[in-house]
Amino acid sequence: MTLAVRVRGFAAWAPGLEDAAAWRGWSAAPGPLGREGVPDARFLPAMLRRRCTPLTRIMLRAAFDVCPEPLRAEVRTVFASRHGSINESIELIEAVARRQPISPAKFSHTVHNAQAALYSIATGNRRASSSLAAQEDTLASGWIEALAHLEREPARPLLLVQGDVPLAPTFAPLVDEPVASYAVAWLLAADGDGEPLELALEPAAPGVTRPRRAWPEAAELLRWWLADEPSLELPGPRQCAVFRRGEA
Amino acid sequence: MARRPCSLSALGLVSSLGAGAADTWRRLAAGDSSRLSERSDLAPGRTLLVGAVREPLPEVPAALARYACRNNALTLAALGQIEEPVQAALARFGPGRVGVVLGTSTSGVSDAEAAIAHHVRTQSLSPTFFYDQLEFGGAAGFVAELLGLRGPAYTLSTACSSGARALASARSLLALGACDAVIAGATDSLCGLTAGGFGALQAIADGVTNPMSANRAGITLGEASALFLVTGEPGGIQLQGAGESSEAHHMSAPDPEGRGAREAMEAALRDAGCGADDIAYLNLHGTGTPLNDAMESVAVAALFGERVPCSSTKPLVGHTLGAAGALEAAFCWLVLRGREGAELLLPPHAFDGVRDPALPWLRLAAKGERARAAPPARVMTNSFGFGGNNCTLVLGESA
Repeated sequence: MTLAVRVRGFAAWAPGLEDAAAWRGWSAAPGPLGREGVPDARFLPAMLRRRCTPLTRIMLRAAFDVCPEPLRAEVRTVFASRHGSINESIELIEAVARRQPISPAKFSHTVHNAQAALYSIATGNRRASSSLAAQEDTLASGWIEALAHLEREPARPLLLVQGDVPLAPTFAPLVDEPVASYAVAWLLAADGDGEPLELALEPAAPGVTRPRRAWPEAAELLRWWLADEPSLELPGPRQCAVFRRGEA
Repeated sequence: MARRPCSLSALGLVSSLGAGAADTWRRLAAGDSSRLSERSDLAPGRTLLVGAVREPLPEVPAALARYACRNNALTLAALGQIEEPVQAALARFGPGRVGVVLGTSTSGVSDAEAAIAHHVRTQSLSPTFFYDQLEFGGAAGFVAELLGLRGPAYTLSTACSSGARALASARSLLALGACDAVIAGATDSLCGLTAGGFGALQAIADGVTNPMSANRAGITLGEASALFLVTGEPGGIQLQGAGESSEAHHMSAPDPEGRGAREAMEAALRDAGCGADDIAYLNLHGTGTPLNDAMESVAVAALFGERVPCSSTKPLVGHTLGAAGALEAAFCWLVLRGREGAELLLPPHAFDGVRDPALPWLRLAAKGERARAAPPARVMTNSFGFGGNNCTLVLGESA
């Protein structure tokens, strides 16, 4: 099963890696991404800055960088994050456990679509938007959901944003993953302009496990894209996602 | 519209109305509002009327203990009802061609609350707590591991539109050819976080929710799981249209003009290749909050006038949040499946009967009301979520 898409652009943000040139440098000699850090918030409307969690600021920074005006308000969006706003939920659950009152504004920002919602509010975007999570398979799942949106409306470009921040210390020991603050955003289209990319979902080869990397899978995909290698295999828990450069 | 068919082939569901299609439909069609119950353990110092599932739930198998939580037990209860067709689909298509797309807004928060309370007291996590119970992706991951599926498996979480959105994406996965069958739907469970959060927003009614009433004062919380086996075949009841929009307005309040709601409904009609006159019944989002009902009634009246019979079923089951879009699509499926000759028996709009004169007049379905709708009929369901995430579905009988 091979799905085809056009890549119109990418942008990414991690502490110390704030533009395409920095990411090109990183991809030539990849290593762990920064654990903590946030981009300057001045790109956001003033009224939204205060409510922006680190993840929101990072994901929206990458989204704004890849998607120019006036397209920002016109794209469909898919936000993929394994943990999303879970750190803020944990804070509220701790408040519940201590029988303390919950802040209504904080509660409404714990939804998994908080980043998508603030993107919509900040840009005036009224289009369809999905937010998803899929444990260690969140990267490939984000692409599949992005393709599912392009299937619904092939004429409209799609903004795919993937990112996470470190899980709160209470739960961090339960999850084995590269710890980083990052977002990678892709501007995609069903056809027309852009570089062709194919995503094949193939049966997982028996005994093949995911290689241990010091950086998140979303960064690995970007590393591959910048390295000009023909294909990238990302073995998942159920299927192997194979990214290939398509025929122009 | 030439498009690959999307058959809602089998339905499993559990809510406060009961477990399974037969009990649910009987109580839904009768407008049985006696199934809500009181809970004093969800919000400190407050007894809440909620739509809790009353049936004992199956246990998550020991081998999958890291997924053991009430949310997944609800999923398991719904999944058990469609085990036979699901296994047949797995045998027919192979595990690599069967996917799962679930919606949830809570995942295993109710169980995580106990673990976090334990942590607050002792500074250590309880040994029965696993992150897989809490993380959103675990809702779909649980089903995939339980059934040995090897197709795409992910969780959509867009607040109260999650369940509708899961069905829309399942349809796209079939159309893309990424799957031959998808288990799609949603599960949400009652927990202290949502009770406390909606309480803090002053959004929970003291008694039963009272949608479209002048006396409406908020939601009644509920829990449910509703799962469909979705296949790319003609016949039966089809998911014919999905319409989506974002509000670009506010985190917890909709656009008062109902612009986003209307855009979602119009997009769903376009996607289904039909017009407003083709809709025989509309299941409202109808949360019973002042803002939702005001904007939804404006949007519905603008699109349908006074013609389409509609109801909110939330006074019967509560607002099941992330599950609501799938549960209410399931109710629409039951309406179509319950066809009586040239008529459809409709779930009544159970409220205090005091219409809000400030809202446009809607044709709210009375108890026992039937819509004249020769086959093939179409019905619609609305879901509007926090952050302004809207999704409307059109279900229809095959021609």
